[in-house]
Formats: sequence, structure tokens, C-alpha cells
Amino acid sequence: MKNRLKVLRAERDWTQADLAARLDVSRQTIVAIEKGKYDPSLSLAFKTARLFAQPIESIFDDEIEVTGS
Amino acid sequence: MNAPSQKPSNTTTNTIETRTASNTKKLALWTGLWLISLALVAFGPKFLWDFHTVITCTLIVTNLFMGYKMIIANKEHLEGLDELQQRIHLEAMALSLGCSVVFGAVFGLLENVRIIASSPNPSSVLFVTGITYGIGMLIAHKKYL
Repeated sequence: MKNRLKVLRAERDWTQADLAARLDVSRQTIVAIEKGKYDPSLSLAFKTARLFAQPIESIFDDEIEVTGS
Repeated sequence: MNAPSQKPSNTTTNTIETRTASNTKKLALWTGLWLISLALVAFGPKFLWDFHTVITCTLIVTNLFMGYKMIIANKEHLEGLDELQQRIHLEAMALSLGCSVVFGAVFGLLENVRIIASSPNPSSVLFVTGITYGIGMLIAHKKYL
């Protein structure tokens, strides 16, 4: 799953450790999410969306194209 | 951007680092006490109190209590981790449990099929459990970094 975590973090001049502290997770978790090696749970994704005050789908992209009927 | 501008909560006492450090210390303490009590049960009767039944039984009960506290400390340690850390432990446990079952099953048969002469010691499975848990942790850490 792609995500804009790194961009959003950079816009706020936060380190990975800063973001980890704000989300109450380890820095390793932030690294793994940013690299796309780990997909966060729904609750962590919502927490992230609340922190950045953005809709969840603008931060996380599951790369599945939805075609209209 | 209108993201909340509050500072990260690392000045409070309940960050994941402080929580994990505290839980790890607790786990180390109870594991150490359990290990000491196990050593006393194993060697005390022969070397310290000449197989006195009351002392041995007291030590066995103490050992079981220490074991219970160690299990609870381990559970609390796991619950205090974040979701990725819990997943890493889960993957390590899956490898460890699988290997222990496979190794333990065949190891128990070795005497019956006359591959070894003496009865296999069931505690040998603990070594397999510990070693494969460590290997599982390394593999899972590497996978997510």
C-alpha cells in the first residue's frame, strides 16, 4: 500500500521519532510504513488521518482502481 | 495545513519506549527469579538441604508462583508493544511453535526406533524453542526494515 506519510511528515518538519511519539508507536513502525513494508491497522490509519487532519484515503492508497458500472 | 500542533507526548511517562522499558525490566526480574527458584529446585535437595521434603515442596510451589508471574509479565510485555512489534513476535512464535512441535514429535520417537539408546530428555525441546524464537525474531525484524 502506498502512502504519503513521508511527505506529510516532511511538510511539518517532523522526524520519524516525532511522528512515532505522536502516534504512540515505535520508530521502526514508522520506517516500515513509509517504506511500504507494513500496512497499518485500521485504527492506526485513522489515528494518522486525525493527526494530519486529512481524509484517510488522501494519506493511504491501496492502488486498486475502482471502475464505474 | 491544519494539523494539530501539540508536542509529541514523549515528556509523559506513558510513551511506548518507557512502557516497553518498564515491562522489559519487569519481565527480566520475574524470569531471573523463576530461573533462580528452578535452579534451587534442581540442585538444592542434593547440595543444600539433603532432600528435605518440606523445603523441596516449598521451593516447587515458589517456582510455580514465579513461573506464573513470569507468564503474566510476558503477556503484559507483549500487550505493551505496538502493532508491528506484536506482529514480529507473532511470526517468531509461529516459527518457534512449529519447529518445537516437529522436532519434539520426532525426538520422542528416536528411542523407540532405536536411533538413540537412552530416553530423550523432553527439556531438549526448550532449546529448540528458544533458538528458533531468536531466529524468528531476526528474520521478522529483517523483513520489516
